[in-house]
Amino acid sequence: MEWALKNLELIFDLTITHLWVSLIPLVIGSVIAIFLARIVPKRFAGSVNGTLGALYAIPSLALFVALPALIGTNYVGPINVVIALSLYVVASMFFSARDAFNQVPAPAIFIARAQGMSPWQRIIHVELPLAIPGLIAGLRVAAASTVSMASIGAVVGVRNLGYLFLDGFQRKIADEIVTGLFAIFVIAIVLDAGLWFLNKVLTPWSKKSVQHA
Amino acid sequence: MLSIAEIWQWLFDVTNWEGRYGLVNLFFEHMTLSFSAILIAALIAVPIGVAIGHLGKGEAVVVAISSISRAIPTMGLLFALVMFMGIEFRGFAVTLALIIIAIPPILAGSYAGIKAIPQTISQASKAQGMTAQQLIWHVELPLSAASIIGGVRIAYIQVVSTVVLAPLIGLGGLGFGIIQGLALRDFAQVTASAVIIVFITILGDRLIGFAQKLTAVKLAAVEIDR
Repeated sequence: MEWALKNLELIFDLTITHLWVSLIPLVIGSVIAIFLARIVPKRFAGSVNGTLGALYAIPSLALFVALPALIGTNYVGPINVVIALSLYVVASMFFSARDAFNQVPAPAIFIARAQGMSPWQRIIHVELPLAIPGLIAGLRVAAASTVSMASIGAVVGVRNLGYLFLDGFQRKIADEIVTGLFAIFVIAIVLDAGLWFLNKVLTPWSKKSVQHA
Repeated sequence: MLSIAEIWQWLFDVTNWEGRYGLVNLFFEHMTLSFSAILIAALIAVPIGVAIGHLGKGEAVVVAISSISRAIPTMGLLFALVMFMGIEFRGFAVTLALIIIAIPPILAGSYAGIKAIPQTISQASKAQGMTAQQLIWHVELPLSAASIIGGVRIAYIQVVSTVVLAPLIGLGGLGFGIIQGLALRDFAQVTASAVIIVFITILGDRLIGFAQKLTAVKLAAVEIDR
């Protein structure tokens, strides 16, 4: 506790970096996952899911350091971490996003079609809004693991909250490690609450339909 | 940029395979750490998960544990345990950290497996005079095996990904080449080690996935009857 109070500025800086390194992959990854989930035809869904499943199994540190050889980035720095975490978000969200689209009631789609909506209009204005609860549920799972996984980026030189683990271990300051654990946990919870709230705001009708039932 | 030839060269250099920090030794260390933790975690989590699913009590606990566990950074947990237990007990501390990491998914998988069994089946078994023990051993466990193995699969992914970090606290495992290579800026070693880890992890994941498929029971006929 004493350690944390003395190093508030450091913790703040690391938290900001940690947020960036987690939020960018969450945005990029979820957009790609949602796009793929809606666009991949049914007969390819199994193989896409299998490929993403294998990707998901790759240990994060191994993926961070394998990317430079594949795409020519630097070994140290946030780019590999952001790309790797985005891939994990895609892998973890693809299945639940497909599910979310499949759960959209068929009548809603028929009505949209009957009203003369183009496929893109239908996806943007009907399917996407109705799939939001499922999509955000998947995003919440991805968000928690992304925030905690991002800390491993510290091993490849990203100065985020994971730095507290490495530094605390080397300097034998247990408080520093505990501070890191606590800070990451708090970020994950705040992000989770934020997504829960976003779901409420984006689906104002969901409350009404419960009342009708 | 690193060429494939450099990676091959590193991989086919016999000196990188022999000795204390040779690939053979690191591989066995990697596997021993991973599998002992998963085995112990399964011995703890499967009975509890099955009991919770069977009794239908304590479900909220399983859900809470599995969602909280996702937000805990494995690296921090690993370092904290080694720090608190003492660096001389790091082998034990790592195993304990890995067990803690492996329990939530196996617990969730076991619970979900039992929970997913249609009520008609357990009721029919009871109507045939099965005791609670028989019900668990002959009905619930076989029907939820695939789900339990699914939990083990997620545990495996998380455990192996944490074992890669073991060299940071002075232990071995296949992550050694990554950590040492990064420090020495030997990127052929880093990449070759990463490739080996990727290959072995995916292979293991596929094997567990295969076991999952083998044990999966289709209940389609039962669903139609209802």
